[in-house]
Amino acid sequence: MSISTTDLMVKDVLLSPDRVPVLPPTTLLKQALEEMNKFRLGVVCVTDEDEKLIGIFTDGDVRRLLLKSQKPFAALFVDDIIVHATSSFTSINDTASLSEAVVLMEKKEIWDLPVIAEGDGKFLGLLHLHPAIKAVMGL
Amino acid sequence: MNSRSITIGRDDQVSGVTIGETAPLAFLGGPCAIETSDHARMMAERIGEICAKLNIPWIYKSCYDKDCRSAPDSFHGVGLDEGLKILGDIRSDFGIPVVCDFSDADWAKPTGEVVDLIQVPAYLCRQTTILRAAGDTGLPVHLKKGQFMSPWNMKNAVRKIEATGNRQILLTDRGTFFGYNMLVNDFRNFPIMSETGYPVCFDATHSVQLPTSMGDISGGQREFIPHLVRAAAACGINALFMEVHDDPPNALSDANTVLDIKYLEQILAQAKAAHELRLELLDKWGADRVHLDD
Repeated sequence: MSISTTDLMVKDVLLSPDRVPVLPPTTLLKQALEEMNKFRLGVVCVTDEDEKLIGIFTDGDVRRLLLKSQKPFAALFVDDIIVHATSSFTSINDTASLSEAVVLMEKKEIWDLPVIAEGDGKFLGLLHLHPAIKAVMGL
Repeated sequence: MNSRSITIGRDDQVSGVTIGETAPLAFLGGPCAIETSDHARMMAERIGEICAKLNIPWIYKSCYDKDCRSAPDSFHGVGLDEGLKILGDIRSDFGIPVVCDFSDADWAKPTGEVVDLIQVPAYLCRQTTILRAAGDTGLPVHLKKGQFMSPWNMKNAVRKIEATGNRQILLTDRGTFFGYNMLVNDFRNFPIMSETGYPVCFDATHSVQLPTSMGDISGGQREFIPHLVRAAAACGINALFMEVHDDPPNALSDANTVLDIKYLEQILAQAKAAHELRLELLDKWGADRVHLDD
């Protein structure tokens, strides 16, 4: 039995944590950038010891940081990623529908949406816009 | 910015010294090298009298091996066994914590069995084996910033120590190379190194060193010590480090930079006053709030 695209849930399409840069808060900014390159994603997810998402750092944050910071690169590179990560990020529960998630991403104009477990609040992965659109379109 | 404080003093035999946050300014001092037992004890007594008079908590510093001297025939030290015996006796007889550095990883364990604070020499602050050995003693670590290191890169050295499970670190600035044979102090180093969360210290006497500027020995401009001490205390240090001698011209190590003990009281008194004034100002006006986001 095939699943209708309208029945798809966020949990059916999300990128699991092993396919996303998931880093502890004391990761150096330089290492975080390397992880973004490695996974070919413009985002890193910062989690605490309880696997709770505590921050998001994106390509956009890098651009804004470069324009704002007057530190030498060598000093910026050794900052803890959590210092520059955004703690007030948009997220969605794994039980939400995919269409609901895509509407939210369109509304917020974001490419990546962190997915949080409804029960214990643990970080479950990332909904990336490309696979989400492909799934919605049945491609 | 300093979120942690550390306490120096491994047992009740000595008066523990707390360094950090709003604790009183601590002093780390003594002759650069242990010369003789009598001289080391005499210095401990005289420095102790001054610190008692000023009510300044202090830690006795002197080293048994000077491994970074400029010339092959410079005084190298009394050696590990004799040096540690002298430091141990001073510790128990005077009731003060002691600090000493080590430049060979094998010396960390015996040194750590005597001292209260174990010191990583500035030149060796990148050496993983040394940092690991210091951390493994379980003692608070006095980590001096290399003259060649940026303050932000000291975080790497800090993390090497933290990897041993040791989270008691004191970070010290002893000057930064400004070309050859010249050191300058960048006072931004204190708030930057404080971002590690550990207390920070200013080494005033090594900061005025002119490294190996006199061919086979280092020169120094000790006339700048009082100026730099006042500036550092106002900037926000938690401890002050100075090497002190009763007869600088005849000191066996760092003769051109050690502070003559006759000046110690006036400098420590000013450092203490500047430190207290800074804390008063912060209490009155609040923590420094000039940020990048302004």
